[in-house]
Amino acid sequence: MAELPARSDRLSTMDRRSFLRTGVGGTLFLGTVGITANLSGCAGKPAGRYEAATGISSDYRFGFLTHDDILLFGALLPAIIGPGLPQQAADRQQAILGTIERIDAGILQFGPANQKELRRLFDLLNFGLTRVTVARVWPDWASVSPAQAGAFLDRWRSSRIGLLNNGYIALTKLSNVAFYGHPAQWHLSGYPGPPAWATQALPQFQNAS
Amino acid sequence: MSLTDRIAQGLAAGWKVTDATTLTTDQTHEADVVVIGTGAGGGTTAEILARAGLSVILVEEGRLYYQKDFRMDELTAYAALYQEGMSRVTRDGAIAILQGRCVGGSTTVNWTSSFRTPDATLNHWADRFGLDDLRPEAMTPWFAGREQRHNIAPWATDPNVNNDILRQGCEQLGYSWAVIPRNVKGCWNLGYCGVGCPTNAKQGALTTTIPGALDHEARLFHGLRAERLVMRQDRVDHLIASALAADGVTPSGVSVTLRARHFVVAASAIGSPGLLLRSDIPDPYQRLGKRTFLHPVNGTVAQMPQQTDPYYGAPQSIYSDHFNFSSGVAGPVGFKLEVPPLHPAMAAGIVPGYGEDQRDTLGKLPWLQSVIALLRDGFHEDSPGGTVSLRDDGSPVLDYPLTDYLWEGLRRAFRTMAEIQFAAGAERVRLIHLDSPWFRSWKEARGAIDALPMKPHRVRVFTAHQMGGCGMGADPRESVVNSFGEHHQVTNLSLHDASIFPTSIGANPQLSVYGLAARNSTRLAARLRS
Repeated sequence: MAELPARSDRLSTMDRRSFLRTGVGGTLFLGTVGITANLSGCAGKPAGRYEAATGISSDYRFGFLTHDDILLFGALLPAIIGPGLPQQAADRQQAILGTIERIDAGILQFGPANQKELRRLFDLLNFGLTRVTVARVWPDWASVSPAQAGAFLDRWRSSRIGLLNNGYIALTKLSNVAFYGHPAQWHLSGYPGPPAWATQALPQFQNAS
Repeated sequence: MSLTDRIAQGLAAGWKVTDATTLTTDQTHEADVVVIGTGAGGGTTAEILARAGLSVILVEEGRLYYQKDFRMDELTAYAALYQEGMSRVTRDGAIAILQGRCVGGSTTVNWTSSFRTPDATLNHWADRFGLDDLRPEAMTPWFAGREQRHNIAPWATDPNVNNDILRQGCEQLGYSWAVIPRNVKGCWNLGYCGVGCPTNAKQGALTTTIPGALDHEARLFHGLRAERLVMRQDRVDHLIASALAADGVTPSGVSVTLRARHFVVAASAIGSPGLLLRSDIPDPYQRLGKRTFLHPVNGTVAQMPQQTDPYYGAPQSIYSDHFNFSSGVAGPVGFKLEVPPLHPAMAAGIVPGYGEDQRDTLGKLPWLQSVIALLRDGFHEDSPGGTVSLRDDGSPVLDYPLTDYLWEGLRRAFRTMAEIQFAAGAERVRLIHLDSPWFRSWKEARGAIDALPMKPHRVRVFTAHQMGGCGMGADPRESVVNSFGEHHQVTNLSLHDASIFPTSIGANPQLSVYGLAARNSTRLAARLRS
């Protein structure tokens, strides 16, 4: 893991360069956040094995999302998925954590360029100063209610700033795909899954070869 | 209904296939021709050259997936089979790019629609770009040959309900429609083309030309990224490639050098200009990466009174060209109307909502129907396309500004799609747009659509067809290659993919790529054997 700090140092140098070169618009504040977040030491490491405060955990190892990112999605998913989540508390926590795990697994296949974009977005949302000024979310994410999270999503969705619309799309698309795409949630969309007659006939669905 | 898997059989029989993620030492290999990319263009090229007795090395950045891996599961397929794990977008994030990244390229994940290049497009190329030898009569035998190779024929089975609604709406309104030709053999009509055909019915590169090339001694490296072509005087001397690690994303540090007499680049309209830019290939007129086209796509979703099961059945079987060339080839932008399949992850990713609204919309999935419009970009001076350039890390990125000319077309397409869905009996329709509510009637929709903002991000725009960036033309000052895909400045370099199209096609491009690649590879084989 020794190489991780070095990698973020390199990223922050790149952010600084593009910030100095462009100096306007999105690169300005996203770049600034990248620098500030790194300077203030809040650029975290991937969370690895994660155990939620409620004690729910799994064997999954987070390879991209940090502890702060997990808290961020923990606050956003009750708004993004809302009534699609189970009502019973333990099931609900399990569905939320499972979805965050699939978001992480998906991002790992995104490649360096889009990972860098998402890192900037998550740092902007997690860094106190920009959480308040850009996202206009006052409490830290662990204390944000679903109603406050929904209001934040509405602001970014209806904003006249394309970059914020893009942030809204990134957050909701990651979440919606990871949630509704999973077999455990297919019942919500009424999708019956691949036809049983086909899976029974096809060799790749028979005993693992 | 054969369950014989060509890939598993070939691997067992000793095909020369190397999974580069398993390599531990740097190495050098040599062949008559190195082909970069294994999609529609690379596969066709490799098979024709190998059958002609030339030694061929195929290079593919994605991995070799085949029947055993195709399990009709969206999440794993999107992560493994698509560029950037299905997250690829244009530079500003406003257009989502669906593109394959695996052996077979996009033909492994496309929805099997197989159209010849429209006559109007070929004639426009001849008139505008001096490509007289690509007139329809000259290209007809090449398309016919490829239709035979890929078993392409109009879909003879009834369309699924999702597609039939497009037909019904067009019938009601007097718009023309037709049946889509598909490249399938013994298709089970399941509906999972987009996640890798589970039955081997799809006759894409993976089940036709790639096995054909490997049967004839071609060698395939997968999990190997083409980094840079290295020039020696006025010729390409060798390719430097990086083996990927087991994750298929990061380089492992192992380098592979590939030498050849001739190099064919077929790495897509984003990958090919990217590779040539990284390689500092001569570009005296600054044409590399310019005029990249996307068939920008917008769409609408309808809730129907009858069950549509839009996840089952051949995903695309009906289309309408009523609005495609009706205003002339270079008038207001034309569009082709088609239907997308809707599986839960795909539907959840394209409907841009959240919370209760999203849950309620997706909860209607078995009754949902969607129509998409594919805009024919690149035929008008106000549609100059996008530009591929390199990021700091050398990876290619596409900047594609949507012009007022295209926004007008997107609005017109929204109107037409909603009108068709209501004409076919939709209970309600919404646009795939951040500001669109559900509309209850065509009358309500018509007025509202005229008032909706046509702006980046607010209109959800997609592309499944990337074209151009290394355009062909008679005049080297405005093109990268000639009508045979031969590079204007570098004598042993050819491009055999959609990157050479000087405009978009106006139809799903796979057969256009197959046909041109077959023609140009036949010529190349003759050249290299003489």
